[in-house]
Amino acid sequence: MTDDVIGAAAARLAAEAGVTRRRDLGALPARDLERFAVAAGGPPPVDGAVPPLYLSSVMGWSAGPPEAELRPDGSGADETRGLPLDGLRLMGAGQELEFHGTVRAGDRVVEHTTLLDVRRKAGRSGDLLLLTVERRFTDEADRPLVTCRETFVAR
Amino acid sequence: MSTRSRTRPAGVTAGDALPPYRQRTSTVQLFRFSAVTWNAHRIHYDAAYARSEGYPDVLVQSHLHGCVLLNAVLAWAGPDASLRAFGWQNRGIAVAGDELIVTGAVVAVRDAPAERVADLRLEEHNQRGEPCAPGHATVAWPAGP
Repeated sequence: MTDDVIGAAAARLAAEAGVTRRRDLGALPARDLERFAVAAGGPPPVDGAVPPLYLSSVMGWSAGPPEAELRPDGSGADETRGLPLDGLRLMGAGQELEFHGTVRAGDRVVEHTTLLDVRRKAGRSGDLLLLTVERRFTDEADRPLVTCRETFVAR
Repeated sequence: MSTRSRTRPAGVTAGDALPPYRQRTSTVQLFRFSAVTWNAHRIHYDAAYARSEGYPDVLVQSHLHGCVLLNAVLAWAGPDASLRAFGWQNRGIAVAGDELIVTGAVVAVRDAPAERVADLRLEEHNQRGEPCAPGHATVAWPAGP
């Protein structure tokens, strides 16, 4: 990856920093929660309780673009937190979560996404960007349910 | 957010070790996890693509590492526990077929109104002993009678 691509992406991302986008994720389907628990090897949901990492693990909440519009690595913009990453590859690097309230199947959830920080660093195979994204999941009245600060590496 | 599992520690004190938790990954698991999280990143299901990026096989998802760490906590904490906070950092890769082993310990316990709260530190390694993801969790149980 050339420095020009990293630099251009850093400039695009810097323009997004601090901007909060609000999106209604709709009502959570019980079957999706059960499938998530099975795939993760975790305990099955009890009384429709959402597995703790479900909301913060889902990459795409929309139907997504046609395959021809995906990036070469298979990702689409909606699956990478809506970030302007053209020319870069994104890898998850971890999350910090706080759990404020119980979420259950059928609950309607709203996501508030903010790019908090963009830092350029020298990696072993060239420069990279470290991104910190905050997502607050709330109910429709903006009461907090889960807060997630996630780190991504973009190369 | 409440979580439930099969057992509950009889008494929790600082220094307690969590029993090692093991989970063997597979290509089927990675596919199903990508599907349910709508993650089309080829690095998790296209082995040739993963090799083109220098990896030996398809990679375990960042979030699945988090889930494995949390599974260890939930299995230990029992049905009455509430999860208050959790976090992890992806430090090393794992590929399909790797066994992930989570170990951990209680680092602090405190009594709060009507509940007992414990802070845990966690480590996830693969079967070769290579570190994959350190983590931490805070769980609470209702105070006993």
